[in-house]
Amino acid sequence: MALKYGTDEWESEYQAVLAKRTEKPPPYIYFTPEWVSLFEKMIQEDAEYKEAAKDWEGSTVLHVEAAPDYGLDVDLYIFMDLWHGDCRSVRIVPPDAGEAGDFVITGSLERWTQVGKKELDATKGMMQGKLKLKGDLPAIVRSVKAAQRLTDLSAEVGGLFPTELSDEDKEVLKASVKDMTDKLIG
Amino acid sequence: MEQKNPSSAGEPDIKMAPGAEEAGMAVMLAEMIKTNLKNKPERLKDFNKLKGTIWITAGDADVDMTMDFDRGSLKVSSGKVGRPMLQISTDSTTLMSLANINIKFGMPNYFDETGRMVVKKLMKKELKIKGMFTHIMALTYMTKIMSVN
Repeated sequence: MALKYGTDEWESEYQAVLAKRTEKPPPYIYFTPEWVSLFEKMIQEDAEYKEAAKDWEGSTVLHVEAAPDYGLDVDLYIFMDLWHGDCRSVRIVPPDAGEAGDFVITGSLERWTQVGKKELDATKGMMQGKLKLKGDLPAIVRSVKAAQRLTDLSAEVGGLFPTELSDEDKEVLKASVKDMTDKLIG
Repeated sequence: MEQKNPSSAGEPDIKMAPGAEEAGMAVMLAEMIKTNLKNKPERLKDFNKLKGTIWITAGDADVDMTMDFDRGSLKVSSGKVGRPMLQISTDSTTLMSLANINIKFGMPNYFDETGRMVVKKLMKKELKIKGMFTHIMALTYMTKIMSVN
């Protein structure tokens, strides 16, 4: 049975999954809990982001659409709890919690891979309709440098792109999703 | 000046032309103007004064859109439609900077950091605004309703 996101039980289970999955050293596969953990650390330690986001209020969610051909059987919601330059946490959360984020940026796995490779700038991607934003657009525009820095950091984390995995790594991604789905993301 | 269908305190009359709902840039700018006018109703008077067609392109993203203002209403289309009085060509980042221009004493402020950056881009021709001298008031109204600040 799935645990309720936001409770201590959910967080303990998330940390347990993360501990198990980080026994292996990086590089990690993009959008797995272990990759998200590195991303969180980078945001928390980035002075440029802190400065650009000093007026930022609200959670931001990267919504990665399911891509079964690449081993990603469910949509993933990477929830960033951000407040005035601080990054309180970054977690993969259940769909209902993800959709409830203040700003939700949705894209296919291929598009997010392009962002991760710095082939697609997030602002440009939204203008081209390749990434879709739900939320108060003027707020994002006011903090466009912070949003840009977040996407730059997602590229700087590095790792293996789900669109380019070997069959063996595809199984790792599937296992990651399975670890999450039972108790954490429903 | 006669206002045909001025918006009052209610929702501004902003419509998407067929097909524009699929165009990211058109959707973004329409949504931004709608939210700005909702958050800053005092700018409705600028919206209500604006009449004419404005074309905007972000060359780096290879996207363009047309905004057809008619004193209180706006129709947003994807691509270039009609004969625009103002034609704005730049890149997507500069377009975001334009939307970040501060408004001071009811006018766009070109003397603070963001304003100076926009002026610098104009001088370096990284931002081109065709018709800006003949339609200076239209440009001012548009800048105000697009500004998120």
